[in-house]
Amino acid sequence: MTTDLHEDDCGCTEYRELSRRQFVGTAAGGSMAAVAASYFPAWLPKVVLAESYASARDVILSVFMRGGADGLSLCVPFGDPAYYTGRSTIAIPRPDAAGTTTTKGIALDNFFAFPQAMAGLMPAFTATDLLVVHATGQFNNSRSHFDAQRYMEVGKPNDPALVTGWLGRHLATVPPLRSNAPLRALGLSSGLQKSLVGAPKTLPIANPATFALGGAAATSASRLSFLQSDYGTASDPIRAAALDAANTVALLKSIDFATYRPANGAVYPTSSFGNALKSVAALIKADIGIEAAQVDIGGWDTHSGQDPIAGSMYRTMQDFSNSLAAFYADVVTTATTNGVTAVAVSEFGRNARENGSNGTDHGRGTVMFALGKNIAGGRVMVNNWPGLATANLEGGQDLKVTIDYRDILAEIVQNRLGSTSLPTVFPGWSATMRGATR
Amino acid sequence: MSIADALPQESQSGMDDAVATVSGSVATPASEPVTHAPRSRRAWFAAGAVVAATALLPRGARAQGIRRPKPGPIPGTPNIPNEIPVAPIEWASDTTRLLRRISYGVTDADVLAAKRYGFRGFMERQLDYTNIDNSAVDAFVTAKYPLLSQSTTQLFAADATTVRLQLQQATLYRAAFSNRQLYERMVEFWSDHFNISITKVGYLKAVDDRDVIRKYALGTFRDLLYASAKSGAMMSYLDQIQSRSGAPNQNYAREIMELHTLGVDGGYTQTDVAELSKVLTGWTIAGRGDFAFDPARHDWTAKTVLGVKIPAGSPSLGAAGIKEGEQMLDVLLKHPSTAIFIATKMLRWFLSYDPTQAQIDAVASAYTSTGGDIKSMIRATLNSAWLRDAPMKLKRPFHLVASSLRTTLSSPTVLNVVSINAQLTTTGQPLFLWDTPDGYPDKVEYWAGNVMARWNFAAFYSALATGEVIVDAPSFMKGNTADSTVAAIDTRLFGGEIDPQLRTSLTTYLTAGTYTAARVRETLALAISANSFQWF
Repeated sequence: MTTDLHEDDCGCTEYRELSRRQFVGTAAGGSMAAVAASYFPAWLPKVVLAESYASARDVILSVFMRGGADGLSLCVPFGDPAYYTGRSTIAIPRPDAAGTTTTKGIALDNFFAFPQAMAGLMPAFTATDLLVVHATGQFNNSRSHFDAQRYMEVGKPNDPALVTGWLGRHLATVPPLRSNAPLRALGLSSGLQKSLVGAPKTLPIANPATFALGGAAATSASRLSFLQSDYGTASDPIRAAALDAANTVALLKSIDFATYRPANGAVYPTSSFGNALKSVAALIKADIGIEAAQVDIGGWDTHSGQDPIAGSMYRTMQDFSNSLAAFYADVVTTATTNGVTAVAVSEFGRNARENGSNGTDHGRGTVMFALGKNIAGGRVMVNNWPGLATANLEGGQDLKVTIDYRDILAEIVQNRLGSTSLPTVFPGWSATMRGATR
Repeated sequence: MSIADALPQESQSGMDDAVATVSGSVATPASEPVTHAPRSRRAWFAAGAVVAATALLPRGARAQGIRRPKPGPIPGTPNIPNEIPVAPIEWASDTTRLLRRISYGVTDADVLAAKRYGFRGFMERQLDYTNIDNSAVDAFVTAKYPLLSQSTTQLFAADATTVRLQLQQATLYRAAFSNRQLYERMVEFWSDHFNISITKVGYLKAVDDRDVIRKYALGTFRDLLYASAKSGAMMSYLDQIQSRSGAPNQNYAREIMELHTLGVDGGYTQTDVAELSKVLTGWTIAGRGDFAFDPARHDWTAKTVLGVKIPAGSPSLGAAGIKEGEQMLDVLLKHPSTAIFIATKMLRWFLSYDPTQAQIDAVASAYTSTGGDIKSMIRATLNSAWLRDAPMKLKRPFHLVASSLRTTLSSPTVLNVVSINAQLTTTGQPLFLWDTPDGYPDKVEYWAGNVMARWNFAAFYSALATGEVIVDAPSFMKGNTADSTVAAIDTRLFGGEIDPQLRTSLTTYLTAGTYTAARVRETLALAISANSFQWF
């Protein structure tokens, strides 16, 4: 499955790079298609025209599972006997175990299974649109949540000089999907997540449905104008944020989030994660030029009382899977103007063996997910399962990392998000293309 | 009711420019101009804005001097001279600069008090907080939030939501109105440093707030760390109560090193985490959340943490097993990484997002030489020469809300802060609800994008005309003209140093409509929303 697309690109890269630069340089003025057309020799194929170029790109939903998600519960390696010997109270029963079906795993193949809590994602998996990558993560072995999250979002470990995020750098190096979009990306958060730092026209918006200037409606335009002017003399990032916010108000006001009806009868959970994905869905369908959204889901730091069968982690996983499943049915399967790809990562996994509190402490390898019509899914991708027997564990404790998460993201960034700037998006990382996209 | 209460008769303004030094190690650049020409509001703000911008730059770029603007052209605006003669003296003096850093907002009464006491006198008075009369605020808190003084057992029986709301509201009220402003700023600092989410531990956070954070906020770091390590809230939050011999839980052992003492690069390994978790087995809680050491849960085998060998013990030692953990707390307290970590964090809190090595060394030295005396570290941090050059910091939402209350209400006539407290949720900083143990970020790039929420708070707040909080519009209308209203905003919100451009635009806005209380309120909202009110 491994294909090195750097070599397959044979000449295309150069003209794509050219077109990218032209787009970036001229994005500020007028119709991009018109401007771009004037730059390109007549012999170039029509696909280089901006609208075509842009419409080949997917919109991305980026999910961060904060807290160190236990990949061995999210995607159970029931074929590895050591999974059961290390987890006497929190293991998910094999799919072929005797007894009730409400507790045992749902087979994905003859080795891995979803827990019941992840059942919501089975339709996407069966349709081969959901890829599960296992024994993945970061080769940097930090077990600090905060360092590991930072490294992952920045896209490079141990580089204090690099403060922008991978998604931010990606957005900064591609032309906007829509040249006049006031808002290209958003973080569903009160503060901007690190993944998005550095992205142009990008804001943290905790709730897009209420994004408007309060106070008397009669004076809201003049007050907004006052604030635009006041912050016009500030410096970035607060100047840009203020101007983007002011420009975004009218845009979001035009979207009626309250009456939004998901397609295909999709039902989003009423959790904060479910609500966030529902808002993202409405934004994408409004077709206003949003090309990336970062959404976080917490609750994965399961040091005690983990219970992935019926307790705490069961509920977290169910929220995660049912929300993503609704997003899949509502948006991914129905996307028209642009395709939609979703990815979900976590900073690290957890110990292979449970601790004395029916939980698990910070570990290493875990799972990540990619979802989309052009994701080569319907399978669990491994790079030689490293195994859970003590001798095979990192430091005798943890599932080894065998696939760097950036390999998967880089392939999506290049093949689905139209990037020709992987060295900028993931500096210092030469990605191995592993066939995550099709 | 303000810091101006109980002022001494004698003016000490001669000490205004005194430089606070500690152990001779504070680097006061000899070449630094000693003239305290008033740095204009505009120049100040430009300095802050540069920092905001450079926060996104690579460290190398900052090291080249962009971070700390010196007299000269403002970067990015080469034709504008740095000194624009518009600023009254007060804002640019050392004392008001100090006041701005150690408070939630500069009121005219505060300015008066600070100038009477002088730089060192005012700081010492704020450090000696128990001698600042705060009886009215204390009485309010006791009357309105009675749960906070109850025993652990009583709190256990109380409604969890009520406990949370009382704790949040009392904290906001104190930040806004307490005369012990520096103390409240340190309470916020330690509440983030030893962050505990009330979602996980409930009423125990209220106990921790009272018996750990507030008890030792201006004490010694040793007392604070010991109290935190034996806090039922912390032990529950970081799963220490789950940890036992043969089944140690590493959560607290990791975070006490990573977040509370050494820092993530402080020189510990994963093995140290595992070993320390064994040392701490047996540290648990009894009753409704009181600390207890349980010898039966303690791992008596030999351990090595940070190179320190702890020999094997025996269950017969019983309660003495706690000494292993206390020994390790002392090791952590004396570790040079802890001095640097706490010093750096304190400098970031009060002075600059990116302190210099000389500053870190000086404050770390204050930590080491005093055994972690927090007041000594603050004296070292709030060096007047450093304050003169310190770039502005962005108010986090809690700070913005507290400073709005503090500067717009002439006295705490509020009946409660229920709806104001709810605004902390919409602005992104609901108290004690940050989920992870690192506490709310103190970074420009995290909070800068949240402008709409800030503007909406300002609009909400300024419109409060009835009920629990009354923003007194008539008090801004005494002169009955637009100019006098904007002048009142200048005095009360900006310490008399409003940016002339903002003064003009506020006046223009006010005169574009009929001069009514509603229009004045909107103008006040715009002043609270303005860029320059977001910085301190």
